[in-house]
Amino acid sequence: MNAPYKMPEGIILSAQNLKKSFGDNEVLRGLNLDIRNGEVIAIIGPSGCGKSTFLRCLNCMEDPTSGSIFFDGDDIADVRININTHRENIGMVFQQFNLFNNKTVIENIMLAPVYVGVRNYRQAKRKNGWIKFGNLFRKNKKDLLPLPTTPAQVKKQAHERAMQLLRRIGLEEKATVYPSTLSGGQKQRIAIVRALAMNPKVMLFDEPTSALDPEMVGEVLDLIKELANEGMTMVIVTHEMGFARETADRILFMDGGVIAEEAPPQEFFSNPKNERTKEFLSKVL
Amino acid sequence: MGSLSSAWNVFYEQMITKGGYKTALQGLFTTIEIAVLGLVIGIILGTLIALVKVMPKNNPAVKIGSVICDVYVGFFRGTPMVVQLLLGYFVLLPMLGVSSDAVVVAIIIFGLNSGAYVSEIMRAGIQSVDPGQLEAGRAVGLPFWPAMLKIVIPQSIKNILPTLGNEFIVLIKETSVVSFIAVVDLTKAFKSIGDATYEYILPYVMLALVYLILVLFVTYLIKLMERRLRRNERTV
Repeated sequence: MNAPYKMPEGIILSAQNLKKSFGDNEVLRGLNLDIRNGEVIAIIGPSGCGKSTFLRCLNCMEDPTSGSIFFDGDDIADVRININTHRENIGMVFQQFNLFNNKTVIENIMLAPVYVGVRNYRQAKRKNGWIKFGNLFRKNKKDLLPLPTTPAQVKKQAHERAMQLLRRIGLEEKATVYPSTLSGGQKQRIAIVRALAMNPKVMLFDEPTSALDPEMVGEVLDLIKELANEGMTMVIVTHEMGFARETADRILFMDGGVIAEEAPPQEFFSNPKNERTKEFLSKVL
Repeated sequence: MGSLSSAWNVFYEQMITKGGYKTALQGLFTTIEIAVLGLVIGIILGTLIALVKVMPKNNPAVKIGSVICDVYVGFFRGTPMVVQLLLGYFVLLPMLGVSSDAVVVAIIIFGLNSGAYVSEIMRAGIQSVDPGQLEAGRAVGLPFWPAMLKIVIPQSIKNILPTLGNEFIVLIKETSVVSFIAVVDLTKAFKSIGDATYEYILPYVMLALVYLILVLFVTYLIKLMERRLRRNERTV
């Protein structure tokens, strides 16, 4: 494997010459994007321009056809990289919420932290077993690895964290209900805190408000804004122009599988340069 | 009515006085044993095959596995159960040079056979679950298998429970062919009770009733399970 990629200072996620085709249909035609730590990026564009595909490529939900995505010193587009451990640090929120229907709200939030915690505990125990075995033959005994928190503690901590997150969005009384009993806005806010429970370094939002009733859009956008103010790094595919203008540090306009224009929101909305951008904005604003 | 009451007397004597009920109970136990263990093997096998079939085919090992599964499912769905039992007991066992209890052979063959059917049921069940569920599981960092086991399969089980119950019922009734390899199941037991007196009416009527009660009981159990699994759909 290649030497770990040196990320430029302040860049958390970097896509380089990213291409994606579905059969003969080339959806992404070579995109480059550096996401800085703490930056909020809004991706807008006409439907079918590849914005969702681009976002889904960033955590390899779709495997890119070619190109690289650098995160944490690894090229996660490389199939030899264990994508799962990286995905723990990349939160994702879907248009259709995708809460686990067979789990209660609190189980939804706790699932991944508990899985990862228990796995880390087992891994450390297994490694210690080998070290102990090796020590039988070693002159200089190797020290055992410190054991991470036990599964019981992991569960307790995950539960506390989940309740804390639910309190934050004011839904702690919904902890033990199943997602089917919630409204769209509640589901999406829970989906957001489910991603937050893993303390991700970057969050990807795939049209988080498109499937919501109009009166619920606000509560979800408010939560996303709050996260933005706290300094969470985010990439948001959205059709909410007002929200993009208000929240984003940078707007990407995608068209035909490429980034047609890229600018800070003020400049983007008041003084678009690209012809396609002007046409698009004249239709949506 | 006279003949019926005399038939009843003969049946009573055969069942109770001569200890025929022991054979019948033994047969009932064997039938249940083969059906239940067969279904357990079938579900495990079927789930594995279904997972191989729905796995993304970007890996040559998965492709090869998928072809093997196709051949397996093709064979076990393409030949009658009786033929599989005969092949297993009279061809495969001598060829391998092992001697085994006929009941064990029956359990294995029933498991393999039902695995072929369950795999298709499972595949349909897995594909009936919204792909977003698996995606969301993968997005929070779960690998493919844990995401499948914790999120997708529990939901698919709920969808396929009626069909799976059907498979179990078919399996219970199909055990009546194991007498081909000299296993004493429920059918064989009642037949031998009838054989002893050449009085077949009551043994066979009873036989039918026992199967009926067994199946009705299973139907009831499935309904209970279904209700429990549908918990998360109820609105408060």
